Parts: sequence; C-alpha cells; structure tokens
Amino acid sequence: MDALGTGAHCLVMRSDQGSSAAERPLVSVVDDDESVRESLPDLLREFGLAARAFSSAEEFLSSDCIGETRCLILDIAMPKMSGLELYAALRDRSQGIPVIFITAQTDEKVQARMLEQGAAGFLLKPFSDTDLLAAVNTALGAD
Amino acid sequence: MDAIRGHIRSAGSTRKDRGPISADESYREVLEQAVIENLHAGETRVLEMIARGNSLPEVLDALTRFIETQADGIHCSMSFVDAEFRIRPTSAPTLPSEYNGKLDGVPIFPYIGPCGMAAYLKQQVTSENIEADYRWSDGFRSLTRQHGLKACCSTPILDSRGSVVGTFAIYLERPCAPTAHHLGLIEMAARLAGIAIERQLKEERLHLYAEVISRSTEAIRISDCNDRIAEQNAAHRELFGLTDEEIKAKTSAMIFGEEQSVRVLAVLNEDDQFNGELLATIKGQPRLIDVSAFAVKNHDKKTVCYVALSRDVTEKWQAEKALKDSHAALESLVAQRTLALQQALDESKRAQDELRRSEAFLAEGQNLSRSGNFSWIVATDEIRWSEQLYRIFEFEPGTRVTLDLIGSRVHPEDLTLMYDMVAKARGASSDFEYAQRLLMPDGSIKHLHLAAHANRDREGRLEYIGAVQDVTQRRLSEESLAKARSELTKIARITSLGVLTASIAHEVNQPLSGIITNASTCLRMLSADSPNLEGARETARRTIRDGNRASDVIARLRTLHSKKDLEPEVTDLNEAAREVTSLSLSELHRNRVILRQEFTENLPPVMADRIQLQQVILNLLRNASDAMRTVEDRPRELLIQTERDEGNQVRLSVKDVGVGFPPQAMDKLFEAFFTTKSDGMGIGLSISRSIIEAHHGRLWAIANPGPGATFSFAIPCQLGGFARTETGRDRIHQATDAA
Repeated sequence: MDALGTGAHCLVMRSDQGSSAAERPLVSVVDDDESVRESLPDLLREFGLAARAFSSAEEFLSSDCIGETRCLILDIAMPKMSGLELYAALRDRSQGIPVIFITAQTDEKVQARMLEQGAAGFLLKPFSDTDLLAAVNTALGAD
Repeated sequence: MDAIRGHIRSAGSTRKDRGPISADESYREVLEQAVIENLHAGETRVLEMIARGNSLPEVLDALTRFIETQADGIHCSMSFVDAEFRIRPTSAPTLPSEYNGKLDGVPIFPYIGPCGMAAYLKQQVTSENIEADYRWSDGFRSLTRQHGLKACCSTPILDSRGSVVGTFAIYLERPCAPTAHHLGLIEMAARLAGIAIERQLKEERLHLYAEVISRSTEAIRISDCNDRIAEQNAAHRELFGLTDEEIKAKTSAMIFGEEQSVRVLAVLNEDDQFNGELLATIKGQPRLIDVSAFAVKNHDKKTVCYVALSRDVTEKWQAEKALKDSHAALESLVAQRTLALQQALDESKRAQDELRRSEAFLAEGQNLSRSGNFSWIVATDEIRWSEQLYRIFEFEPGTRVTLDLIGSRVHPEDLTLMYDMVAKARGASSDFEYAQRLLMPDGSIKHLHLAAHANRDREGRLEYIGAVQDVTQRRLSEESLAKARSELTKIARITSLGVLTASIAHEVNQPLSGIITNASTCLRMLSADSPNLEGARETARRTIRDGNRASDVIARLRTLHSKKDLEPEVTDLNEAAREVTSLSLSELHRNRVILRQEFTENLPPVMADRIQLQQVILNLLRNASDAMRTVEDRPRELLIQTERDEGNQVRLSVKDVGVGFPPQAMDKLFEAFFTTKSDGMGIGLSISRSIIEAHHGRLWAIANPGPGATFSFAIPCQLGGFARTETGRDRIHQATDAA
C-alpha cells in the first residue's frame, strides 16, 4: 500500500505499525546545516526508521549511538572534521557502518573517490525522498 | 883713420929708399902718430859714451866738438833725417843757431844743399866752392854766404840696415877740396854717429816695446826659461791680482797648476807657441784664462824666455755656458711646449672624436628613442632640426623648416593648440611642454610629446631649444594595455561569475534541499493512517521558510546582475557602510547582535562600485552575525570599523565575538564551496574577495586574540583602474600572510 505511488520498494516498516523503537534501524545524520538536521530525520521516521541528528562529526563520535547506528548519512563539507574524515576515522576503528554522503559536488572524480572509499552511496542536493529511500535501502541491505 | 894712415903711408912710399929720416920727417911721423892716437882716444871716448848710454844729443855733441878740434877752420854739423825725410840739425856747436834753424825741417832733396843730396843719394857729397856750385839752391848759397861758409863735405849716416838716419857735414871757411884728413874725420864721425844713432834708435824701439807691453790691455808676463815669472805688465797685475813681488815668486805652474803647466811647456817646447784655455784660481775664484804664449830663442836656438798673453775669458765662458744653458733651457722649453702642444692636439683630436662619438650616440639615441631636437629663434622664426626630427615628420633632411611646414603635418584638430603655444612662447620666455598629434600623408596618426627650454642665444635673442618625442608606440601600447585590462577584467568578472554561479547554486541548493525533504515528509505525514497534522504543519512551515531563503538568494542575484559593468564612482566608504548597517539592523537585532560602529571621519573617497562594496559589507556582517549564533555567555557584539590604512588606502573591519575559526580553516574560508552557514544568504566570501580584488584591494581574516574573528578589506583611494584577479589560491595565500 504505497500511498505515495512512487513504487518504491519499502523494506522499512511504517512507524504506525507499532514496531518497537528497538526494532527500527537507527540512521544517524551528521550535518552542520540546521535545516537538514530538522528535516531529514522526520522524513526518515516516515520511512519507519529511527533517526538521530548530530551537528558535527565530533558530536557523533562522542555519542553513544555509534554501535547502534545501522546507517550514517554524512555531509561532506563541514567545518572541523569533514564527512570524509569521519568516515576514515570510523574505518580506522573497524566500525563498518554503511555511509551515505550528502554532497553538492557534481565532480565525477570526487564521486568516484567516494565510492572507492567504500561509500554505500551519495546524495546530491537537492535530493528527492525516493533517492533518499533508495540510498538507505542500499545501505541497510548491504548490512 | 885708415884713410889718414893710408895717406901717410902712401906719402911715405914715394921715397924709394929709407935713408936717414930728416928731422921734419920724424917730426911729421911723431905728429902723425900723435894725431892718430888723439883720434883713437877721441873715438874711444865717444864709444864709451855710447856704451854707457849717454843720451844721443850728448854723444853727438861731444863727437861734433871733438871732430872740430881735430882740424882748423872747420865747422861740423850733425843732422838727423826724420821719418818724413827731413833734415833735423841736431848738433852744430860752432855754427850759428840761425843757420841750423833755417835748415831744420828742410826735406831731403838733392838740389838744396850737400847734406840733402848726401842723404838722398846715400853718398858723400863734396862742394869745393858752394858759391859757385850751381847744384845748390839760391837759398842755401845765400845762407852759407851769409855765414862765411865756403866749402862743404857731407856724408850720410847709415844704420846697420843701410838706411839713412842722418848726415854729417864739415864746412870750411875757404873754398877748397877737403883734405885727406878731413875725409878721415868725416868718415869717423859718420861711423860713430851711425853707431850712436843706431843705438839710440834701438833704445827708443826697446823703450817703445816696453811701453807697449806696459800699457797693453793684454795681460802679459815674461818668464824665464825655468818658467819663473820675471815681468808682468799692469794688465797682468790687474788680472791675476798679484803684485810684482808676489808674481816674481811664482811659476806659471803655481797659477795654472802642475798638470796644465806641464802641458803648456810641452807644447811650447814642441811648437814654440801655445794657444789654449786654462783654468786658474784667481782671488779664490775659478776663472778660465785664454793663454797665448811663445818662446823667445837666442841665436843658438836656446829658449831665453817665455812670453805669455792671458785673457780672462771666464765671462765669455760663463756667457757661453749661460747661452748654452739658455739654449738648453729654451730647447727643453720648446720640447715641453711641443709636447704640450702635441698633447693639446691629441686632446683636441680626442675631444673631437668624443664629440663625433657623442653626436653619433645622440643621433643613435634619438633614433632609438624616436626623439629629435630643434632650435627656434623666435625673432626670425629660424628653425633647425636634428636628422631624427626630419624622420619623425617625414620630411627630407635638410629641408628648410618653417612654422607652416610644421603646421602642414599637425593634425587639424591640434592645429589651433599648436598656434596658441607658438603665440604664447613668443610672448613669454619660459619653458613649455605639450602634446600634439601629427596627421601623416598616408593618413596615419603620430602622437608627439614636445618639451622646450627658453634660452638667449649669443646675440641675446630669445631662442627655444627643445626635444620632440614620438610617443605613438607608447600611446598605442597604453591603449592596448587598457583594452587588455578591460578584457581581463571582463574575464575576471566571468571567472568570478563562475565562482558566483557556483556559490549561488550552492546557496540555492540548501533551501531547495530543505524544501524537498520537508515537503516529502509533509506528504508522508498527511498520508499516514492517522495523519501527523502537527508534523505536517511543521514541515510545511519549514518548506515556506526555505522557499523564502531561496528567493532571497535570487533577489541578491538580481541585484548583483543588474549592474552589468563595474561602474566605479566616487564613494564614501562610511556612507556606504552606514546604509548597509541601517538596512541590516532589524535582522541583526533579531539575532540579538549588538552593533557598534566606529567610522573614521573624513575618510578619503574611493573609486568603487558602490553596490558591490555594500554586498561585501553585508556578507561580512552576516558572517559575523552567524558566527555568534551560538554565543550565550557574552554579549554578541559586532564591531564595524573604518579607518585610513597605510599606502593611501581605506580599511573596513568587521569584528565579532563568535566561534571564530581555527588556523587550518583559514585556507578554506575563502574557497568557493566552503561554507559554515546553515542558511545560504547573500554571497560567499570568495565572491567578496573577487570584488575587493577588482577594486585593487584585499580581503582577509584574522582570529581575534579573544573569541571570534575580524574580517577586513582595504582598498586604495581614488582608484584609476581595475586589476585583473589572480587565481583565488594566490590571493588566499597573500591574505593569510597579511593576516
């Protein structure tokens, strides 16, 4: 029953289906942009995911959500530690969390680099909810 | 005497035999003997007188008297013959003085009297009867008649050479022939008188010579065969400064030195004479003496004495030496002068060469620099051009230059200017400078720059000397440079436009992204079984908000693009800044930002695109405000400052107390895709930097000692042009260095 009519295959359970919060995979969003932190988690929750937002890579790293996080949505361009650096840091910690990069970079070289680095996907702003869902599914499916 | 003896003997020889001598005969013999002895004694006496050196008159007088005693009735007369061949009676004891007086000075002549004839013929002359002797002059006969002289016998007196020096005559009171006795007496008298006279003459000659030597101005000395000086004359005394006593103690060696003396004597002995110059020390001074010396020899060829003539030629020698020195000095002077002259000639030649070279350089320089010289004598409009100037004007070199000729080349639009300058230059007499164009025959245009200096020529006339430079190339270069600059500026603008576009895209993306996300969420929320109306409302609200943000960016973009070209105008930075701050006040207040403004009064204006500068200021204000968003523990103070900066610039600074930035982020700050902003409002720092750089300024940031950062830009006052932007990377480095 896809009210959106997008035909998106939805792995994710709807929030009103009464699944426990613990059963919903946690997606952590790390972006210094406030509007992203406001809007993205809501959309993710509509997808039936749990979502947490962090304003910086450092904030995420010092949080207790690392273990829980099933998918990471990262803004590349951030002050202090960038998304890429966070990814590298996580890799060093052998914490293989699938990462989706949000970027404004249209440079194919950079995109290629991201995929090489093992990114599960990337989203180009502005992205549609369908793109987001697809990327998250890929990330979670890869798990 | 012999004659007497001879006569007596001949008288005796008539007797054939010597039979017994009568008393008369023996008496006569005794008498004759006595006469002979008497004569002999008299002769001896006279000779003695002569030998003793009695004076000639004494001797002749004694002789004449003696002769008169030897015979009866005779009167003797001794006469000289002088140098003019005149009779000069000297001794006639028994003749009256009138008689002598009459005869005195009578020239020798055969037909006056016997003495004259005798002297003339150098023969004895007898006149047995003067009265009847028509050989004699009337005057003489009358004279003799007067004094009772009837007969005469005169004999010439000869000297050793046979010349007549005088006459001796016996006069008789009776006309008769002279006896043998008389003749004998005459002979003796003449002989003795000759001796006496000869001797006298010799004495006189000696005396003369002595006088000559004595009085001579030549220094003469006589030294004996041993070189001892015997005599010196006064001149010698004078020259050598030695008295007669002193000189007699000397040898010539003592005067001239051993060496010289030996040399002289050697020559004298060899050649009997010496001529040369010798050095002597006289009165302590060295003097050069010219010596002529000769040896006097006797019959045996033995040297009797030396005679030397000395002349002090020191002066001559010194004069000669002085002359030589003077010659040498003169020669040296001449040599010096010649050298100096030669040097001067060389100098002159060098100078000429230099001149020629510098003229060549000048011509070359003029050629290279496309400049030429001219001179203009105002009064006569006499104009002279250098070769290069002819080339600039494209006239044949050597053409007569007139103002009209020049005018024919001047660009018609500049012709009035030229004539104005000419008129002014005529009137004033000061330097002038101006630019004008030429229109060449082929239609091309040349730009000239002219500078002239006022001068007075040699005749005091006003003359301008100047230089003209063809600055066409420069002008063209400047124009193409300006064109290039404008092109580059356009490119820069395009580049920054690229940057701007990217930045705008980025700025727009932010709200767009939010819109899509929020709207998607909204729909899902509404389509849920139990719609999340609250959530939908929230997301819808966010959507509108983001939409507004996006339109703000578009609005900015429009404002930016409404000014196609940079149009700089004289801008007061303070005023521009005040406009921005007043417009932003509400927004700043909403963000609880406390604005402080410190504008330096009387800032010099800048040539700037006002709107663009205001964009930058707005950008800085917003960045500062954003940086303080999370500040809670201190007032969110924002300080905007303007001041004069060094290097004739003005600076604007925006200082906040916000989160600041770490040094490593400095590089990223001005990068096109970097932003810390959660909401993309206004234009990015990279565009701000481009704008400032287009104004020939720089934009930089420094971290404050305390919290926050200060962003500043500085731009030059009264800018003339716009710089092309270098790559952003270079500029950032520079800004970093500045900061």
